[in-house]
Amino acid sequence: MTHKDYSNNTKIATLKASSSLKKGYMVFLIPGVLLFLLIFVFPLLANVVLSFTRWSGIGTPVWVGFANYMKAISDSNFWASFKNSLLLVIAVTTIPTLIGLLLAGFIFERIIAKFGRGIANFFRGGFYLPQIVPVVVLGIMWRWILQPNWGVLNLSLKAVGLDMLARNWFGSASTALPSIMMMMIWMQIGYPLVIFIAALQRIDPTVYEAADLDGASWLQRYFYITIPLIRPEIFVVVLTTIIYVFKAFGQVYVTTKGGPGQATIVPSYFSYQNFFQRSLVGYGATITTVLTIIIGLVAVGFIRMQTKQEQEG
Amino acid sequence: MKKSLLWIVVMVLSISMVAAFSFAGCKAAAEAAAAVAEETPSDVVGTLKIWDMEVDNAFSASWGFAREEFKAMYPNVTVEYEMKTFEQMEQSGKMFLNSASVPDVMQCCSGLSRAGMYASEGLLTDLTAVAEARGWNDITPPSFQTTCRYNEQGVMGSGNLYGVTNYGDFVMVYYNKDMFTQYGVEVPTSLAELEAVCDKFVAEGIVPITLGGLTGWPIGHVWWELVLYNADRELINNYFLYTGDVDFQGEAFASGAEKLAEWATKGYFDPNVNGISYDDANVAFVQGQTPINITGGWMFGSFLEKITDFDWGIFLMPGKNLNQGSGGDLWVVPEKAKNKDLAYAYIDLTLKEEAQTIMALVGGVPINADLTQITDQKVLDLNAAFSTIVANDGMAFYPDWPVPGYINVLSSNLQELLAGTITPEEFNNAISIPYNEYKESRE
Repeated sequence: MTHKDYSNNTKIATLKASSSLKKGYMVFLIPGVLLFLLIFVFPLLANVVLSFTRWSGIGTPVWVGFANYMKAISDSNFWASFKNSLLLVIAVTTIPTLIGLLLAGFIFERIIAKFGRGIANFFRGGFYLPQIVPVVVLGIMWRWILQPNWGVLNLSLKAVGLDMLARNWFGSASTALPSIMMMMIWMQIGYPLVIFIAALQRIDPTVYEAADLDGASWLQRYFYITIPLIRPEIFVVVLTTIIYVFKAFGQVYVTTKGGPGQATIVPSYFSYQNFFQRSLVGYGATITTVLTIIIGLVAVGFIRMQTKQEQEG
Repeated sequence: MKKSLLWIVVMVLSISMVAAFSFAGCKAAAEAAAAVAEETPSDVVGTLKIWDMEVDNAFSASWGFAREEFKAMYPNVTVEYEMKTFEQMEQSGKMFLNSASVPDVMQCCSGLSRAGMYASEGLLTDLTAVAEARGWNDITPPSFQTTCRYNEQGVMGSGNLYGVTNYGDFVMVYYNKDMFTQYGVEVPTSLAELEAVCDKFVAEGIVPITLGGLTGWPIGHVWWELVLYNADRELINNYFLYTGDVDFQGEAFASGAEKLAEWATKGYFDPNVNGISYDDANVAFVQGQTPINITGGWMFGSFLEKITDFDWGIFLMPGKNLNQGSGGDLWVVPEKAKNKDLAYAYIDLTLKEEAQTIMALVGGVPINADLTQITDQKVLDLNAAFSTIVANDGMAFYPDWPVPGYINVLSSNLQELLAGTITPEEFNNAISIPYNEYKESRE
């Protein structure tokens, strides 16, 4: 089968147009660049600069060099917040992604085939609903569900005779962070699900036909064909989820406010406490600067890994 | 040729668009500045911006009445009233005061970490002369002056007058009279008797004291009351006014933390106390599940309205003179406020007998009310209790005042103390560190 090679023609056309095209589009970038500088770059730089000062929010900042960073290193709250954040990232990235993969496969292959798109869309929308409802509303809802004396979870456990599983969910240091994890996993499932369903739709069915001819089971097909083919989507989901969970604030603010003790403190909430309640703006900026650096490194690492995989694949 | 002309036109349009937006902003700012420079005649046309934090209680009733009186007195003044939450004021109060959209009069918590800080940074109007001229000093009890005056470092008790308070506030024991009668216990007259009452309820399988550990700060009220059993005026002054060192392992603090931990192990609080919010805890009291609720006067009006199933009353934590309480929150007039005379007129109205009596009727502790109009015995008891504290010079304020953000330190450590994950010594050590750090940074 022959096909004409149009690539050279387009290359020539592009080269001819490139000089005037380049001059043209730069101008249209000005508003976007200005907004980017104003809303993103300047505040970020200001934050980094503030992290080297001591400031209460009004008056003039006082330069203190690395004092805030030294303070952070010896502050148990600082380490606790990053430890909790790391645990949250691990739990809330892996579990919803795995559940999303399995559910997406199930909905795409079984539900659509047997019940049609309408039912499949209903389930997809339903799982995605927690992503749309404001975090504050969901947080209050989960506070009611996990209330130790009359919350739905404990009452249900007691009703079926599983009393020993009932816990002081948000109120006990051993179950507070797992409760937040539980809440965030539940909130997060819809996001990978929706993306993976879309990803599955772009897989060429002939690949599956070939696998069926070779006698592959559903599971083998899923793990050896489907998942490798949607690797780009998996990368995107994992990266964006990691970034999202690192920044998590509302979930802690509405439920435990970092308690009991330091059990659920996270960097963004700790920073908020320092900015607004303790009026230690410099120290709060330090925490967010460190958080930004960590997220930046993770993002760069991931994208590097993904590009390498794409080049190899 | 055509393409470069197009390019020039696009460039010019973009630049002029950006310029137009920035000039529009400047113009708006210039107009606002002109408006500020204009004098607002004191009784004709203008606006009055009022912010407070109260709803559905004695204060909102009293101040709502004052606002209506104000509108009647100044028919051509637009009253812009906004209710803010405690958290909004706590966290963003400073930014509001420093901005152009500042209110003319606002409710502000007393103490170093709020009113004191704002005063020391020049954000509040000095009301010393105004208070003298308008006779506010005659209405406010002398003991309230502590929370109204702040010096240059923001420490309360001396210096210029920056706030005006129009009510009193204190922590007390709300109790379910029916449950007390049912289980044959009487109002205690000492701490030991109070513990005996609690033991009786525990023996009957009832949680005696309702407490919202999840919310954190309510634990502070119970703890501070226990600390006060072995405190004296000198300790209070050292703690709040930095007049001397505070020994966090001394008798008052040691016994307070030990007693609280003891109460937790004896089962005086719900075993799930750190999972129960302040709202839930109050609901448990209102529904008659828990007989005792140690909290402040801000809940009195709500209980008056909501408790219909049983008879209830109040008593002060028995067997001591010092009691958590103070002059209530302050009216402050921001330095950048545009309508200060109208603000002063509003403050006048909130201090007048009419508004103050309404506050008393709905369950507040006013300073200038006609108490002969009160018929509800509970309200009379409330005011009598407050008068007792004032008469004994017993105001011991609230423990989070001395350090900005101390409320979080206290809350998270108290949660751990209740859970038994730290000892009383560790607790007192943990709370001493930020206190001493802050105190040193001020010197």
